[in-house]
Amino acid sequence: MDTQKSKASLITKTGLAACLLLGLVFIFLGIRGRQKLSSEALSTEESYQAIYALSGDLSAAWNDSLSADLESLGAEARKPLEEKASALLKETWESREAGAGERAERIGAENAGTLWKMLYVSALVNGPKTSSAVRKSVIALPADSRSALRRQLLLCMGDESLPAPEILGDALEGLTGSERQAALLQWLVTASGGTEDPVSEHVRALKKSVRDKKSLLTAFEMCARGELSWLWMLIISNASTVILVGAVLILDVVLLAALMAADRRWVFNVKWGIILLIIDFLLLFQVLPVFYMGFRGLFPEGTFSLDTLRRLFSYSLNAEALKNTLIAGFSTMILGTLIAFPLAWLVGRTNLYGKKFFRSLFIMTYMVPPYVGAMAWLRLMNPNVGTVNLVLRSLFGLGGTSGPLNVYTLPGLIWVLTTFYYPYAFITISRAMEKMDPSLEEAGRISGASPLKTLFTVTLPMMLPSLIAGALLVFIAAASCYGIPSIIGTPGNVSTVTTRIMEYVSMGQQSMNDAIGLALFLMIVALVILFISDVVLARRQYITVSGKSVQPALVDLRRWRIPLTVGVGLFAVVMVVIPFATILSTSLKVDLGKSLLVPGNFTIANWTSVFSRAETLSCLKNSLIYASVTATVGLIISCVMGYLLQRTRIRGRSIPNFLITLGSGTPSVVIALGLIMTMRGSFGINIYNTAYILIIAYLIKYLMMGMRTVVSAMSQIHVSLEESSQVSGAGWLTTMLKITGPLIFPSIAAGWFLIFIPSFYELSMTTLLYTSTTKTIGFQLYEYWTFTSQPMSCAMAFGILLIVILLNFVLNRLTKGKFSI
Amino acid sequence: MSTVSIRHISKAFGKNMVLNDFNETFQDGEFITLLGPSGCGKTTMLRIIAGFEKPTGGELYINDQLVSGGKTFLPPEKREIGMVFQSYAVWPHMNVFDNVAYPLRIQKQDKNQIRDAVNRVLETVHLTQYADRLPSQLSGGQQQRVALARALVASPKLMLLDEPLSNLDAKLRESMRFEIKEIQRKTGITVVYVTHDQTEAMAMSDRIFLINRGVVQQSGTPREIYNHPVSPFVADFLGKVDFFRGEAGSGKIIFPAMAGQAVSYDGSITGKAIAAIRPENLYLSEDGPLSGKLEKLYYLGDVNDCRIQIGDTLVRVTVPGYLLDTLQTGQDVRLQIRNLMVFPDDGQLEQDLSIRT
Repeated sequence: MDTQKSKASLITKTGLAACLLLGLVFIFLGIRGRQKLSSEALSTEESYQAIYALSGDLSAAWNDSLSADLESLGAEARKPLEEKASALLKETWESREAGAGERAERIGAENAGTLWKMLYVSALVNGPKTSSAVRKSVIALPADSRSALRRQLLLCMGDESLPAPEILGDALEGLTGSERQAALLQWLVTASGGTEDPVSEHVRALKKSVRDKKSLLTAFEMCARGELSWLWMLIISNASTVILVGAVLILDVVLLAALMAADRRWVFNVKWGIILLIIDFLLLFQVLPVFYMGFRGLFPEGTFSLDTLRRLFSYSLNAEALKNTLIAGFSTMILGTLIAFPLAWLVGRTNLYGKKFFRSLFIMTYMVPPYVGAMAWLRLMNPNVGTVNLVLRSLFGLGGTSGPLNVYTLPGLIWVLTTFYYPYAFITISRAMEKMDPSLEEAGRISGASPLKTLFTVTLPMMLPSLIAGALLVFIAAASCYGIPSIIGTPGNVSTVTTRIMEYVSMGQQSMNDAIGLALFLMIVALVILFISDVVLARRQYITVSGKSVQPALVDLRRWRIPLTVGVGLFAVVMVVIPFATILSTSLKVDLGKSLLVPGNFTIANWTSVFSRAETLSCLKNSLIYASVTATVGLIISCVMGYLLQRTRIRGRSIPNFLITLGSGTPSVVIALGLIMTMRGSFGINIYNTAYILIIAYLIKYLMMGMRTVVSAMSQIHVSLEESSQVSGAGWLTTMLKITGPLIFPSIAAGWFLIFIPSFYELSMTTLLYTSTTKTIGFQLYEYWTFTSQPMSCAMAFGILLIVILLNFVLNRLTKGKFSI
Repeated sequence: MSTVSIRHISKAFGKNMVLNDFNETFQDGEFITLLGPSGCGKTTMLRIIAGFEKPTGGELYINDQLVSGGKTFLPPEKREIGMVFQSYAVWPHMNVFDNVAYPLRIQKQDKNQIRDAVNRVLETVHLTQYADRLPSQLSGGQQQRVALARALVASPKLMLLDEPLSNLDAKLRESMRFEIKEIQRKTGITVVYVTHDQTEAMAMSDRIFLINRGVVQQSGTPREIYNHPVSPFVADFLGKVDFFRGEAGSGKIIFPAMAGQAVSYDGSITGKAIAAIRPENLYLSEDGPLSGKLEKLYYLGDVNDCRIQIGDTLVRVTVPGYLLDTLQTGQDVRLQIRNLMVFPDDGQLEQDLSIRT
């Protein structure tokens, strides 16, 4: 027995050592590869040419409809065309680098398909400019005549004597030889693409791919010159990834060894494998980016410097943003809590009429995209034409054409932030209120304290930890919000940390340090708050759940019952009904300045035009896909974590839990900024400009919503329910499927939606991470609002709102009324 | 002086009638227990006295002052009552001293006075050395005593206790039972005590009100209720009892299910009747009227729990434990009855008893 045990532990230890060694080898190879690369590195200019040798990248840029056109020509007609193409390619290459032409010829002879692709790229990068008027008319052609045009163009390339297609007009005038062919090729691309300027779009994509793949290209070049073996090529071209894999491997081994040592049992447990996988994922996509950002903030040029941080305060734009953010966050916190506490008390603890309705109404605001609210309040409190201002002016006979309220100010921003973030406090506080044993308050009453006195001496002090936690939640949500300040602050010149970060990022590399500094500031504030509410306050949360569920005694409001109900109702009208009604009515207006009731001012054109545009629909599709993928992956992780946390005592299970909590507390812009800086290849992962980076960002931000739901559901199912199934003869899997699964299904559904909905309409991270092909509906809405038309964007906003409400309804049905958001 | 007069109090939650015409007076210094199965309305009655519920009808007087009824409603804080809650309701954000001092601070009493009063009451409940502790550092029994001290500190004339011992373990429950009784005896306070535990009720009360379905079934001293229940339900709720259907008349009851055997009965009931017999009220006796066979025997230490087959009926009898050696299953025995309770048989017996939860 003992020898067996020691044998097993020996095997485990050997395995760990081997993995460690492997990790070191990986790192060594990666570093060697890097060194080789840097000694042989090509300039970007050279890389442009090297890309021609990379059929993979060419294929990515290649337009498939062109292949079909070439096919349709038939071998006979293609022959002279290919010869011409080969010659053209040779000429083009030779003109840029002596000897390159020969290489082109060699590649061209080997594979005609590659030849075309190379030619295509060449023409795109170096081709002459095309006339925009002609381009527009080409794009306007219907699909079948466009295809005919492409055939014609191909034939023209093969035979110079053929006249240019009529539609091109004099676009080819004066061009001969290779110039003419390059131009023809460009027109070919134009005739195949759907967008306004397919040529430059392709060029952009190509240049980017050259930038991204530089090391790969270099390695390929060296390999082609016969200087490297294929293995080295593989290592060099992926040097960063190799190092990364090695580092992750070593980290895992160390972690695993630590866990085993703490257990004093050197036996590998499969659950550790799962935990390590989750940890690796979070380390790479959450911890690394944030740490790298911190590093860049403190070591801007590779050496330690406080310049970045100093600029936060010395550069007035930054200092202003900082000040605004703190003021806005703080005021929103105070205002939001002042609203939330009485509301939570009235709804949870008194005999107010319609409590249930109010409750779900206030909580629903939580699920509305904040920028939709911002749009509504902007329509209402625009200093000139805002409805509220118009009413106030006519009501009090105020002159002038603007005021008295102006949403484009700091107070305006605070107001809108409050209307959208007080539900955070409301939910936290009312949850605590519901859990509180009512006899604690009754004990106060029977001791001689009036209801008000009881409120202040018993209820309030006991609620204090939850109250503070709720308030801090509001603070950090308001301070790290981007949607609302971007819509309200930007036109009003009220910049906040988030809006400045976005501006700096869009300005490019040289202002990145400012963005990092601001992001770091935001991150530190968030960390402090996370620490206070999760560590300091959590310890002071009083467990007051009574053993027996008593029917909670409600405070009788007596003669205040009706006035207070009316008050809460009015509040709901102001906070919820009016903004949404404004969005709806704006979306149905022809003339924004006039009332909807003016004859002829009603239209559904905004709706039809928004939702019939292909771009809107593709954004909607993107959003639905990304959010579904995020929610599904997130839920799988949530279920695994729920199981690990609630049903096992495996060591290390709380590490992913901690990281996930940390991730959700990290401000969105910080997550996105970190991902931008680390996920474009320098760390061996390149997912920049892909859908993956969006999904990963959403996951990191919203995973906790799902995890918390599943974990709390699991904690409520007593383990004996599972054990009695196992005693009845069911295996683990059967038990999970037949007992645990059905019991926590409502929570699983709720968890899925809790991740899905915010991912669906996400704006701040998307703004930093999107590309033209991965635009989401949230960003599309923002663009519409900023650049196109307010009524149209209101139609889109209300559409999003309807989808959210619909999903909420589905969730409610699915969970038999147990959950709605 | 603290009397509680309950005049025709009813309470309905929506259509659900939980209290129906409760009409009693609790005398000064009495220890009153409201006893009944859960959901019978006893807690509602207590909460009406406290002022946490408004009765649907009727009036409530405390010390002849109308506190609830008609348009009058005195809120709990004005009633000067002490109350102990089932969940203790000790405030987790205050230490023991502050918890207990709370009622006095609300009265804005002088600091020194408060300190003395609190220390005195903490001594009564044996918590003096815990004054600075937070409730989370106390055991359940200690928290219970904090609640008790808080209810007593302002020297109320009336104290309400809502199943105060139900969350404690058996041993602690027993000792607390006597502590509460002792405090009541010393202070002379009127106590209304709610419980579903009949032993608790028997041990502590001056008078028990047995409630079922919102109606007082019987009230009286523990002895009265135990020995002279007015209905099979009451007999069944307190202690162990077996019911036997029989025919009463001419000085005896004949039990058809006991092969026609009879016992003498000189009560007023004739015709169809139900005899309720407690196992301890039967004993083995050579000249007993009932003869049967000892079917089963369970030795419980202090007593033997015997099952005796008489005709088609199995009768429960408790026999002193020391008699174990003289008993043998299968032997023929005769039974004598010490105390027979007889009720007219209205055919509702099973239904009445099934209400017990």
